[in-house]
Amino acid sequence: MQNPRAAQPSRPVDPPFSPVLLAGIALAPVPPRLLQPLFDAILSVVRRRHPGILERLADYPDSVVGIDPVDLPFVLVLEPHPQMPTLTVHRDFSDVAATAFIRGPLEMLFALSEGRIDGDAAFFSRQLVIEGDTEVVLALRNAIDGAGINLEDDFAATLGPLARPLRHFASVGGRLFNLLSRDMDMVRRSLIGTALRGTDAQSSRISELETELASIRRTLRNREHRA
Amino acid sequence: MTAENVELVCPAGTPAALKAAVDAGADCVYVGFRDETNARNFPGLNFSRPELADGIAYAHERGTKVLVAINTFPRAGKPEIWHQAVDDAARLKADAVIVADVGLCAYAAKTHPDLRLHLSVQASASSPEAIRFYHQAFNIQRAVLPRVLTVPEIAALAADVPVEMEVFVFGGLGVMAEGRCALSSYATGLSPNMNGVCSPASHVRYVERGEKVVSELGGFTINTFGAGEPAGYPTLCKGRFEANGKLSYLFEEPTSLNTLAMLPELIKAGVTGFKIEGRQRGRAYVGAVVKAFRQAVDAIRRGEAPPDIDLDNITEGGRQTAGAYERSWR
Repeated sequence: MQNPRAAQPSRPVDPPFSPVLLAGIALAPVPPRLLQPLFDAILSVVRRRHPGILERLADYPDSVVGIDPVDLPFVLVLEPHPQMPTLTVHRDFSDVAATAFIRGPLEMLFALSEGRIDGDAAFFSRQLVIEGDTEVVLALRNAIDGAGINLEDDFAATLGPLARPLRHFASVGGRLFNLLSRDMDMVRRSLIGTALRGTDAQSSRISELETELASIRRTLRNREHRA
Repeated sequence: MTAENVELVCPAGTPAALKAAVDAGADCVYVGFRDETNARNFPGLNFSRPELADGIAYAHERGTKVLVAINTFPRAGKPEIWHQAVDDAARLKADAVIVADVGLCAYAAKTHPDLRLHLSVQASASSPEAIRFYHQAFNIQRAVLPRVLTVPEIAALAADVPVEMEVFVFGGLGVMAEGRCALSSYATGLSPNMNGVCSPASHVRYVERGEKVVSELGGFTINTFGAGEPAGYPTLCKGRFEANGKLSYLFEEPTSLNTLAMLPELIKAGVTGFKIEGRQRGRAYVGAVVKAFRQAVDAIRRGEAPPDIDLDNITEGGRQTAGAYERSWR
């Protein structure tokens, strides 16, 4: 199936105001091919540590899944062929014939891959968008969720004596990321706080009205039932 | 029935979800094989035989039981994979199998007389006569009740049958007569009853149209969700359709069952098994829901009220209901 959105400049998921977005802006001039070794390493480690993923995807050897981290200036293309899987970096999907697309913020995609959040819940909340062949997306979600991936542990297990510095780096990096996220959230609220308060008040009022309406409907139904 | 005797029966679609359920405090975990012998035959989901052997070992080491759902209806003249599933569950030392089909009940009871049998919700047994029949004919030890009964109806049933009662306490909720719903078959040719799939993913499409997302099943438009509106599963029973010029959820809104606050009533009604729906959900869902219900059951055992735990963020449509247990629509 030809990519239905390749020519569209807008993305259906707005990127969150986060450190990843800033990193994405900084990464914009970097050619995707320079990032390819990182994703080759991720695929290699995951494949070695979790062979069950490709086994669960054995029914979809010719699928091509486009993964769009909406806060980064590049996209990923996964081809889960059992013997020769690939995870390649592209600037966009314009030259990719994908069978399915998954779009969401990078942090959410990482959390999904590690089973820290539920894919259905992310979809219900509209933070995750899927298009195209739903079957292969579901199979991929189930295969990855069922594998019990933990990227830090997985990389540490393959690095031998370098595992400890890696964990230290990950720990410091995680703390910095959280601090920066908090600060950026503060900036975001300061910029749009008034509008947010208005929206919160409206949401609360709508919720009250919905409850009231449901109660009125119930009363009416009961009256009709008795009549 | 007392709180000491109740069991939390928790879902697992993958080995990682099984570990999540066990670690979060499940008393039992229910699973299925990776084929059409169970009603969650979804792509990439379920257990191979070696995975189930490992899962049972992990669970048993921690005092948790494993139940195997073999709860679809065998095709006429081709019952082999269903029989094989029962044989393998027995060989791997599953604590019970959950079955629905009368023929499969007979096969399991005759071939493996020591294997404990639970009657699946798919059998839709909701009367004392039906449940007594399964007990007398096949020595069924527990019945999973359809999600159509009120708490007083469950209490009356429990007092009148010689088997344990299990009810759904959380998760997806359908308005259909369980085991007899043909809506998915109508739209796709595949059903939960025969093929183990309701609204199979192969027939589902989500189409982004500007700020809206349209869900389609087998070419039928099921729903259109507006900007920011929580989405739901693409099942016909939860579709939003136009009738008499009015757009509405004709059967049921996208919502999840949650009976956390009702657990004491259900215990009083004689329920033994509290079943959490969701073998198709991820391990994050399994861990969160099992932990919440473990806390609730433990609180009740201490003589306290179940705590109010927020599970909104993992519910379908971001909404919750007590379903038929309360029948608040009446």
